[in-house]
Amino acid sequence: MIKLENISKTYQTDKVETLALKDINLHVKKGEFVSIMGPSGCGKSTLLNVIGLLDQPGSGSVSVDGAAVKSYRDKDVSRLRNQTFGFIFQSFHLINDLQVIDNVELPLLYRKMPAAERRRLARAALEKVGLGARMEHYPNQLSGGQQQRVAIARAMVGQPQVLLADEPTGNLDSQMGSEVMDHLVQLNKDGTTVVMVTHDEREARRGSHIIRVFDGQLVA
Amino acid sequence: MIRNYLLTAWKVYTRRKLFTAINLLCITLTLMVLLVVTALLQNELYPTGVEGKSDRYLQVGTVVSIGKGGNATRHSPLGYKLIEKYLKPMKTAQLVAAVTGPRTVSVYQGDRINEVQMRRADANYWKVLDFVLVDGRLPTVEDDTRGRFVAVINQSTARKLFPGIQAVGQPMNIGGQSFQVIGVVEDTMHLNSYSDIWTPISTDPSTEFRNQMWGDFSALLLARDASDLPAMKAEVAEIAKRVQFDDPKEWTTAIMWGDTKLDFFARGLLNNEQNADSGAAMFLTIVAVLMLFFMLLPALNLVNLNMGRIMERSSEIGVRKAFGASSSQLVVQFVIENILLCLFGGLLALLAAKGVLLWLEGSGLIPYLDVDINLAVFFIGLVLATVFGLLSGVIPAWKMSRLNPVQALKGAA
Repeated sequence: MIKLENISKTYQTDKVETLALKDINLHVKKGEFVSIMGPSGCGKSTLLNVIGLLDQPGSGSVSVDGAAVKSYRDKDVSRLRNQTFGFIFQSFHLINDLQVIDNVELPLLYRKMPAAERRRLARAALEKVGLGARMEHYPNQLSGGQQQRVAIARAMVGQPQVLLADEPTGNLDSQMGSEVMDHLVQLNKDGTTVVMVTHDEREARRGSHIIRVFDGQLVA
Repeated sequence: MIRNYLLTAWKVYTRRKLFTAINLLCITLTLMVLLVVTALLQNELYPTGVEGKSDRYLQVGTVVSIGKGGNATRHSPLGYKLIEKYLKPMKTAQLVAAVTGPRTVSVYQGDRINEVQMRRADANYWKVLDFVLVDGRLPTVEDDTRGRFVAVINQSTARKLFPGIQAVGQPMNIGGQSFQVIGVVEDTMHLNSYSDIWTPISTDPSTEFRNQMWGDFSALLLARDASDLPAMKAEVAEIAKRVQFDDPKEWTTAIMWGDTKLDFFARGLLNNEQNADSGAAMFLTIVAVLMLFFMLLPALNLVNLNMGRIMERSSEIGVRKAFGASSSQLVVQFVIENILLCLFGGLLALLAAKGVLLWLEGSGLIPYLDVDINLAVFFIGLVLATVFGLLSGVIPAWKMSRLNPVQALKGAA
């Protein structure tokens, strides 16, 4: 599904050069639930961003569904992101100016799809995460757990092949975190490939396998 | 998608009301000034009312006379003889009218002297222009040919000279000549119709004007149909080639053009009296460029404000990018938001411009001004607002759309 070969990534500031990823080789197979673990600053999120084409590697290649990503041209990666990936962020990143249903509809805005169909899919996604009654609420009217469920609905509404979750429970208490994890596990059971960054060993173990990152490198 | 953009725009604009108010004020003031200028230009170049037939007539206001060998050039209004002999027989024109420019004259009433503007016009003048008669009648061919000392005055002059009584039928002494008021017309402020008093040409104290090639006349050439204007223009140019001055040894060549109002202003302002091309396209380009320049400074200010506004939304930009928005889609979104704000500012500017024009009409700064915001001005206003929206929206939108999604999500715009 996703193949990373010899991926390296360096961040350059005025005086300091920081190696974020070094020679990463990773193969995420279709239907897997991969948990990425490691200490803070080890490069987990950078790795997730490279997988999700949000960030461009310094060297190496990324293949999605067997096709190497040759061009990081805005138009090309935008389409790939839209068609292939769904993102869940630690701090939800919902648009507070829009109602919940409009937030969930967002990925579909960038596809050729009638408005009524977008609406129908967004409703279905919200029903699925148990927020059918909160469609016309604004994000700041919801609890953290509910907001993350909205984010999950947004991530899955376009039926992406891969769900990328960056510490999805990081801002939630254990009960809400557990609910969110249940949803991710269910989505994986339904066939979605999930790649999740987490600090929590217990949550990581709910995936099909764990990879560990230390100082920008994969460790056994 | 548009609904999503509109919702976001509405929320963004209502979230920071002061910010939005400053934006709107900047937009409204800029567009208001431009709309007032546009309305005045529109009123002058494409008038309605008295000069509403201006799409059907041409005016010849100047004759350029070239001396032998090209050594001397004289620019002058037309003499009556030039109109009578060369323009009145025109084949392509339905009517040819002769009228002088407005001259200041003294009206004596007992111990009072009033300075007013007066034109002398032939009978055709009243047929080419559509004066609104308030009382009495307009001069006829007979009045002109028989040299009747009759006068038409406008409403303001009637009120000024004959307060509280009916002006029609009253005698008046203009520069020592006695006239009788036969009609009162509505006030008007247009190039060919502006005046306080009109009298027949034949009432001129001297008959010498009939023998002059140069004078202070203009000719108005009414076409049967607007589509005849090009043929009329061509005929005027041909006639100019045939003009013979009284002293053909000294003055060999005449140049004159049948101009629409736009041509007339363009020719005068761009000094194109000797060229067939009036420079109307150049004139309109200059007006457009000046308007753009006028918009530039407030647009730069708006660019700055918009940068701040969009920077606050870097997280939204990151999210939209993560879920598949391309840079161009984001540019479109932000530009649409800005254009919407500018269109709203444009509507406010239209109202404000209407207020300014009402004030201008009432103030008497421009006598007899009567300008309205018509459909054309409204559409120009929409265009101006859109251009302003583009000017002030594209740069910040483009810059922010280029943000790296990871940086944008971190809010590090």
